[in-house]
Amino acid sequence: MSSKEAESPAQAMHISQCDSAPLLWHTDEVAAARSLGLVGALLGSLPRTPRQNVRLGRPLLLLPEEERFLGDCGALTAISQSDVGVREHARQVALYEETLERSYQEQQVLALQDRKAAVLRALNSSRPGSEVDCEEDKRRRLETLERHFSFQRSALMVQLNTARVGPAHLSAGPASCAIRTPAADAKYQVFLDLRRRGFYLTSAGKFGGDFLVYPGDPLRFHAHFICVCVRADERVPLSDLLAAARLGSNVKKTLVLCSPHCHGGGVTYSSLQWSGMI
Amino acid sequence: MGFSANGKQYLLPEEALYLMECGNVQVFYQDLPLSIQDGFECFLSSSSVSLQQYQVFGHLKRLGYVVHRFDASSQPSSYARQLNLPQSRGARSLKRKRSDSLVPTCSHSEAHKVPDVKRRQAEEDPTLPESRPTSSQDTLGAQSPSADSNGGRPWWITDAVASHQSHEHACRRSLCWDGVIVFPDVASLRGHSSCLASPDPSLLPGGLTVGECDVKPWTRRINQREVKMSAKDRERERREHRRKWDVNRDEKVRQCRNWAEYHQLLASRQGRRSGRPEHLWQREVTPLHDHTQPISTGELLDKISVIKSTHVLEGASRLKASEEWRICFTVYQPDTVATFKKSNPGKPFAHMCICSFTGPVPDLAAIKQLSFQSGDVQIVFAVVDAGDISFYTFKDFQLPTDVYP
Repeated sequence: MSSKEAESPAQAMHISQCDSAPLLWHTDEVAAARSLGLVGALLGSLPRTPRQNVRLGRPLLLLPEEERFLGDCGALTAISQSDVGVREHARQVALYEETLERSYQEQQVLALQDRKAAVLRALNSSRPGSEVDCEEDKRRRLETLERHFSFQRSALMVQLNTARVGPAHLSAGPASCAIRTPAADAKYQVFLDLRRRGFYLTSAGKFGGDFLVYPGDPLRFHAHFICVCVRADERVPLSDLLAAARLGSNVKKTLVLCSPHCHGGGVTYSSLQWSGMI
Repeated sequence: MGFSANGKQYLLPEEALYLMECGNVQVFYQDLPLSIQDGFECFLSSSSVSLQQYQVFGHLKRLGYVVHRFDASSQPSSYARQLNLPQSRGARSLKRKRSDSLVPTCSHSEAHKVPDVKRRQAEEDPTLPESRPTSSQDTLGAQSPSADSNGGRPWWITDAVASHQSHEHACRRSLCWDGVIVFPDVASLRGHSSCLASPDPSLLPGGLTVGECDVKPWTRRINQREVKMSAKDRERERREHRRKWDVNRDEKVRQCRNWAEYHQLLASRQGRRSGRPEHLWQREVTPLHDHTQPISTGELLDKISVIKSTHVLEGASRLKASEEWRICFTVYQPDTVATFKKSNPGKPFAHMCICSFTGPVPDLAAIKQLSFQSGDVQIVFAVVDAGDISFYTFKDFQLPTDVYP
């Protein structure tokens, strides 16, 4: 773990800002983020099964703390859409049309092969008669098929790219433009500390907390803790504490109150757990 | 999906992006196809549809719901709804439920009038002339003071038991009839006025005039024989009473030290006998209700209640639309896809408001304003938290009252 932290990540990640939310689009970048221990949340439809909500696909939405973590590691580069010149644009259009034409030719050949195989299958299954007659018949049929075969342009399969193809345009500005507030700083400190201890963290809005803490990869474990960040000197009403503890015990997770020490010190953790009546 | 304008078919940005993600539509810009990343960056912004709103949109569409942008102008106003006007966008179902804010007072008073009616009718029975004469005499005696106080008032106006109640009844009567018919006490009218006044012409169907009603022929049919004691019996009764009764036998009278105290004792006894003791009724603070008068449990609970329950739409029309909370989408049920038509969408399943866990919880003003805007369709709050969406709705709730008439 420590050796991984010492070296800077090999992969530079391009963050695209959509409506001031950081998104990762490339599969290798998503995998690299996971290897760093950043889980994030997938937002888009899966291309093969788009009409379901159980498994989602790219883009990956990063938490603000995760984005800041990547920024501090030096792995972030923001990208933006810059206007290309007229000549460059014309070149891109020409390139696109060329790829489309090439794809059309390939698909035409494949479509013809497909059709021939289908005809052969139909012939073989329908007439289990004498061999010699069939061969002549088959060859004639395939020849007529080749002569009259036409592949419609509208039957062409095109690819809809998920991520933008082509070279990324790097923006000159800072990678993340999130506002730094003391509350956000406190949350980031807690995030850093827990991440360094090897826990995986996701957002816990549904559970009334700040982070959901997994002992390992979320795909392999259930969450163990719900983290709530409170400042060390903050007065918390007892009813709020009880409500949070009740919530945690209802979902069989331990509530952890995290108080970061000021100026980059450690973090104090207090846990609340339902012990039952003795 | 989409709409047509100027003879062309248009798609809204969130619809276009959703179809791109499903792989059904390819969007071209300047002769180049857009990738989904381009779509996210170009179509989603805080000015058109934000990322959170698109997340909810996509989630619902993948589940099969029909999701449209909320259009406040296509919502019928409460007045139009009252009249059950067909919608300009095609006919919505004409059997729309009436808005609750219309007649809250009437329904409230109706519920409490019902137990009252039953009790009243039980009391009216003894006053009908068909009952046994002796018992009727007693109750007639009790009722006669009220009948007397009627005076010249027409008989169909209910003589409310307390003066303030009569005022309330008159007010409520203007809204709805409480189901009480009061029949005239004909038997007790003997000796006072021999005829009933004619009814108010405004209550009769047009063209009908009814004159005064002469009661005499009716009273002649009632058995109004008094118990006749002979002179000797009456004399005997008087003597017995005089012999047995001695004022000094009373313990309390003996405790009186002077005439003033004796007068006080007499006054308090008189008060207690009439049901209105002076220590209760002659001070500044009088009882809320005279216990000799009948009242239903519901009405009594109403009298002693301090907090009145209110409805969520009360005062909602006065609220201004807020910037922070607005309805984003109208959602229709997935199984109505077969019958759904853009010209006649039918009643929506819910209205969506989209917020996040980091933002504030909607306060009462926001909820009132949103419910008013939405009409009788439920409001669902879709709370977005990174990748997860939770749906919340506030339901109206009435505290149950333990009133068994």
